[in-house]
Amino acid sequence: MSAWRKAVLAALAAGAVAGCTEKLTAPGQCPALCPTSNVQLADTLLTLADTADTSVRGFVLVREASYLLAANEDTLKALTLIRFSALDTVWYSTTKPVDTFYVGRMDSVKLSLHIGQRDTSVKNLKLLVYRLPARFDTAATYASILPYFADSTLVDTVPIADTASNGGDLELKIADSLLIPPGDSGVVSLGLALASDSGTMLTLESGNLNTFTSAPTLQYYVHAKAPFDTLANEFSYQPFVATFVTNPPPAQPAPGVLAVGGLPTARSTIYLSLPKIVTDSTSVVRASLILNTVGAVGGFARDSFYVIAQPVVRDYGVKSILYPDSTVSGSVRLHQGQTGAVSIDVEPILRFWGTTVGDSTPRLIVLRVYPEGSILGSAAFAGRAAGALAPQLKVTYVKPYAFGVP
Amino acid sequence: MRRPTGWAAPLAALAAVIALAAPAAAQDSVFGIRGLGYWDRSGSARTAGMGGALAALDAESPVNPAAIGSWDATAGWAVGMASDRTFNPGTGSASLSSTRFPLLGVAGTVSRQLRVALTVSDYLDRNWSVSQPGVDTIAPGDTVVTSDQTESLGGVSDLGLAFAYRLTGVTVGLGLHALTGATRLSVTRQFPNDSSYHTFNQQGTTDFSGVGLSLGAIAGPLPNLLVGASLRVNGALKATTVDTVAHVRMPVELNFGAEYGLVPGVVVAASLGYATWSRASADLVAAGQQGARNVWSLGVGAEVAALHMGGQPLPLRLGYEWRQLPFPIGGGTLTESAFTGGLGLTGAGGRATVDAAVQVGRRGVSGLTEHYRALLLGVTIRP
Repeated sequence: MSAWRKAVLAALAAGAVAGCTEKLTAPGQCPALCPTSNVQLADTLLTLADTADTSVRGFVLVREASYLLAANEDTLKALTLIRFSALDTVWYSTTKPVDTFYVGRMDSVKLSLHIGQRDTSVKNLKLLVYRLPARFDTAATYASILPYFADSTLVDTVPIADTASNGGDLELKIADSLLIPPGDSGVVSLGLALASDSGTMLTLESGNLNTFTSAPTLQYYVHAKAPFDTLANEFSYQPFVATFVTNPPPAQPAPGVLAVGGLPTARSTIYLSLPKIVTDSTSVVRASLILNTVGAVGGFARDSFYVIAQPVVRDYGVKSILYPDSTVSGSVRLHQGQTGAVSIDVEPILRFWGTTVGDSTPRLIVLRVYPEGSILGSAAFAGRAAGALAPQLKVTYVKPYAFGVP
Repeated sequence: MRRPTGWAAPLAALAAVIALAAPAAAQDSVFGIRGLGYWDRSGSARTAGMGGALAALDAESPVNPAAIGSWDATAGWAVGMASDRTFNPGTGSASLSSTRFPLLGVAGTVSRQLRVALTVSDYLDRNWSVSQPGVDTIAPGDTVVTSDQTESLGGVSDLGLAFAYRLTGVTVGLGLHALTGATRLSVTRQFPNDSSYHTFNQQGTTDFSGVGLSLGAIAGPLPNLLVGASLRVNGALKATTVDTVAHVRMPVELNFGAEYGLVPGVVVAASLGYATWSRASADLVAAGQQGARNVWSLGVGAEVAALHMGGQPLPLRLGYEWRQLPFPIGGGTLTESAFTGGLGLTGAGGRATVDAAVQVGRRGVSGLTEHYRALLLGVTIRP
């Protein structure tokens, strides 16, 4: 065996042995066998009254939301407005003697809906289906659209079974035929109103925000025109516009209030001025953003949702770019009707600000609901001018640890 | 490609092993948490099997530079050690284990009288890890359960360049030493019962550097008797952690040893060592630690070559060692003692020797005891 081979074998043997598992950890026996330094915790409460905050509504618009709302409560009324894509005038077949068939008479019209949420304690729900002007104003308000929800435009009243559950499907035959004036070019718009024994609300999937598989669907069962009127066909259309209007209408958050959620969706931002010990990425072990609610948390009865806090990459005011890493965020779960103080863990954000990447980003936290545009929940928190109720940051950190030399 | 000859092969092997095994370290100890660490005197597996009795005469050890004068040809050696420890602090015991390479070296002949050797050995071992459960009070009425782990990995190695010159009846030696190494430190606090807290972790590195000079002599004043002595003077050890620098004066070390052939095939040996670690005391106290004390070490052993294997002698070794450790625990006197044994195998026509040794011992102070068992395997190659 050559000297080189011996050398290599020796090195490999050394490496193999060096890779052996080690077990070094012993129970500390203080003070005799403990490090000379101790990890010491301290905490501080930072009142954010001297910082800046703002709140803006409109990040997800009503017509962009993944749900449609129908409500008949005393404090909130809502009407759903849907414009379906135009009914075709012809269909084609490759299996018939001729391949072009023109749409003639209708057999029936079916409306399919997917229930998002309903209050199952409220009985005898009915959906009132109205025929709206084909090209209703998409910027319509509750007041401007209400006249079209009249007896003269009522297409059908469809009961919703008391056993219908959240997430269930509704298939409603709403008419034998819908007369579509030539000027509407095949477009049909429908309005949905809710009736029930007592005030309640109902959400339906809208088809927006990538929920098209559960979008409202309008199906026409039709015959061809003569001489092929014995041939039947089915057309299925999803909404071109799906939105709703409410009374009272949504408004910008009141001054001094940090609003999140609702529709159009609101976000709030809080600018922080932090001492160095707080932004030291290695020392903070707990950081809680404490917010006090203004009024009760809104939303579907007995429902809950998340409010999350995220840092931003660039501060462009209400259009600030959020830092996309979901691990650098904090969240809290709120439930409808909740009041009082809520606490959001923002330690990952402070830790992020202590990193090389996060060091240059603004000390700005954005509050929003998750997922935006898909939940009814909303909350409002006291802003910096609210005195004792202003946001606070409670930080627990480790005092500088000295390893000792030598 | 030319085949390496002479020094090339052992040097290449040494370089590779150093790269893989660095930092070299000897046996670990929970007591390494105190002072500068666990001070060790690395020697060959043969010496270890004889209770360290050959420390001042060991040609593979950096203790006495004159000892390398016994090499008659180029040689390379390495020692591996696997240790298993049980620490009982009185509140339960912990089983600990580690694998280290405490000694590597090469030696060669420059002339009929002059020998030179290069060694890498452990000097101060700073491998330890302790866990501490606790409850921390953040504010009145606000407490949290904590679990801390503090860890140190690394140590200080001794790079030795030794020269020995053979005179009539006596060999003298000179050793140049560089103390070098680093310790990677980390502290981690976890909060096992409260998910609202996040784990805290901080790391740091301490670099060490220093120099030393050793002188030694070995003589045979009587038939079958070999005696040796060495003196080592160390400069201050410089420790640097980020922007903090500390200098700690290091000890003067004295070592004496004798080996006597009672009858053919039977050798007895003894060694005595003394180190003035109290020189470091003031610097350690200034750094917020406990001081250090001067320490003695003693080793006795015997080697019997009554057995043979494959035509080669199979020496059996026994020994006992006792020593004091320089860094006190809670003011108590820390001592270490062990019974040792071993054997040696020679093969490849006398070109390779494998020595094995075991140590069974304890170290501690009142109420804190660490029992240990170590297996050492030494390989010496004379290409």
